[in-house]
Amino acid sequence: MSLIEKISIELGAQEPWPKDVKLFQPYEVEQILLPDNANCLAVQAFLKMCHLDYTVEPKPNAEAMSPTLKVPFIKAGRFVIAEVEGIVQFINGKGITLTEKLDSEQKTDLRAFMSLLHNVMEIAELYVCWVDQETYNEITSFRHGSVYPWPLNHIQNRSKRNQVIKKLSAMNWYKKTLEDVFEEVDKCCEALSTRLGDGHYFFEDGPTELDALVFGHLFTILTTPLPKNDLAEIIRKYPMLIALVERIEKQYFKKETEH
Amino acid sequence: MGTVHAKEGPAGLAGENLTESFGSYAKDASHELPEKKVTEIDLEGVKARVDTIHIDGLERTKDDIVEDCIRELFKAKDFQDVLLKAHKARVKLDELGCFKNISVFIDTSKGSKATSDGLEVTFNVKEHRRITGGVSTHVGNNEGALLVGMRAPNMFGRGERVQVEYSHGSKKSSNFNIAFIKPFRGKHRPILTASVFQSHSEWATSGYKQLERGLLFDLGFHSTSLLKHNLQWEGNIRDFSVLGRTTSFEVRKESGLSLKSSLKHILSVDLRDELIFPSSGSFFQLTSEVAGLGGDVGFLKNDLFVQGNYSLKEDIVLQGCLSAGFLTRLSNDLRVSMADAYFLGGPLTLRGFRQRGVGPHSDGDALGARGYWAAGAHLFTPLPFRPGRGGFGDLFRTHGFVNVGNVGDFRIAKDGNLLDTLKHNLRVSYGLGVALRLGNMARLEVNYCFPYIFDKGDQTQPGIQFGIGVQFL
Repeated sequence: MSLIEKISIELGAQEPWPKDVKLFQPYEVEQILLPDNANCLAVQAFLKMCHLDYTVEPKPNAEAMSPTLKVPFIKAGRFVIAEVEGIVQFINGKGITLTEKLDSEQKTDLRAFMSLLHNVMEIAELYVCWVDQETYNEITSFRHGSVYPWPLNHIQNRSKRNQVIKKLSAMNWYKKTLEDVFEEVDKCCEALSTRLGDGHYFFEDGPTELDALVFGHLFTILTTPLPKNDLAEIIRKYPMLIALVERIEKQYFKKETEH
Repeated sequence: MGTVHAKEGPAGLAGENLTESFGSYAKDASHELPEKKVTEIDLEGVKARVDTIHIDGLERTKDDIVEDCIRELFKAKDFQDVLLKAHKARVKLDELGCFKNISVFIDTSKGSKATSDGLEVTFNVKEHRRITGGVSTHVGNNEGALLVGMRAPNMFGRGERVQVEYSHGSKKSSNFNIAFIKPFRGKHRPILTASVFQSHSEWATSGYKQLERGLLFDLGFHSTSLLKHNLQWEGNIRDFSVLGRTTSFEVRKESGLSLKSSLKHILSVDLRDELIFPSSGSFFQLTSEVAGLGGDVGFLKNDLFVQGNYSLKEDIVLQGCLSAGFLTRLSNDLRVSMADAYFLGGPLTLRGFRQRGVGPHSDGDALGARGYWAAGAHLFTPLPFRPGRGGFGDLFRTHGFVNVGNVGDFRIAKDGNLLDTLKHNLRVSYGLGVALRLGNMARLEVNYCFPYIFDKGDQTQPGIQFGIGVQFL
């Protein structure tokens, strides 16, 4: 993070949470892809856990608008902040935090699991969307290309795919088979489930950004229909995780429909 | 570039002797047309006809296109006609772009088939090499640029050429362009250009940068000898992104890719006697562009540029310029990008204001508008006391100017008066300055400006302003 960004977050911290906060993300129905949807949902869950008001603003060019070129991002007053970590940090800066009661060991745990989700779950989702031929042909290419006119859609699909493959190669994931990927996801879920145990949330004192991120990923995987349903099947093997997802959905997202 | 050069000769000479003397004069190659002195000996009275035309130095250039250029010469009836037509033929040969050197010799024709008034015209040409290249600088839009280029002229013998150019500008813009150019035969002088380009531009005053990649097909032709048309199709992928974190959100909203496919027609008439400091004549250019034939960008744009010059006294020239543009949205499904909008202000348009300093802004970034108009009036005079007259001093002019203009989303209400809409919130500036001609391609200006009427949101730049470019208002 550059100095300017740090300063901008510091300065932003001094102002209260503005009323017209907007969360920008791609179109949910026809455009958004699994990994992006997971992150957008995670941020939404986190904002709801913090009881902060926001409105979702779907934009076809949300990714290009984002300062880090990744969704989601929020606009709070003059500040534009992207991605889960950045947004969490920005909100912490305003004195709003879900982790104040955690001791330093728990905080280390939280960070470790957050990065596990980023480095395994998110990468696995990218792999399924962009490398698995069947999913790419039937879902990803249509959804990602849907906002561009012909022939830009093909050009963009290809360039984005190359970009993802480059990232996967750098992390030594591109050479993996689909089975290897599923195994990694299984291991990740097992670790999460063990940490969760019988608790309501990962930490006793209530939900944290880790719960939000887990919810974002798992809920998206469970509810997104894909040609290969194996990811959802793996998650279903862990009833404690499913229970967590249902709990968060019920507590933070169902309320809207009751009104 | 040698040419026919006529000098005065003793009057009353017999036709044959006269032409002989011209033949020898032609050898001191110079660039002038027959001057007025020529009429003293009444060349029109000297009967002449061209018997044969020789072209020396043709290697890969095909005969047919050369024949087209010189055919007229056979129709000449008197000696002056021969000179004029030989000059015209030389210009046409030069326009083919195949030759780097052309000289003309006129002599009496000899041999058994020679007629009594017969002449023999010889064009000595030197063809370009297969591949030429170079590094040069060029100027445009208040920016200087370094240009590296390579050309393969006259590839198939009929003036076809391929050129590759890369330029890097002082304001971080860069351009790459590969073009194939093919001139055709015919009285409309059509030229077809097909090019692939990539260009990057940064607009600090609007807080964005844009990378464009695309194809351009251009058909240029003359419907009369002065009326020039260009029909273009452009397919262009544009990647719009913000320059930094502090860029206004209004600009950030525009980020992303768009695909523009547009048809454009440019009509121009240029009657000026000179490009940079004309003393008489006018210039007119009308551009219409329709985007939306495929792609996700749709608009209709009409642009006008008019310049008139009037010489008040020797060396004192009054110049008036008007430019205007209007953009219409075609449909709500098609986008109009900020990069398509009109901006006003800066040393090339409305002096006394910062570049793009007039019109709607958000957090200091110019947002552009749907329409604009701007005009300028200049009084050009030579430098006071005329230092360096006849030489270096002639590159300079002093000028006083007044600029008027307006930019905005003009809406023509049904009962409203168009003129009132355009006049509302008018900007005016005036000033004095010195202008310098750079080669025959650009003008450099240093002005002292006084913004006179401006809006409170405008970014004015009173005082010294520096401008460099080709088209000024």
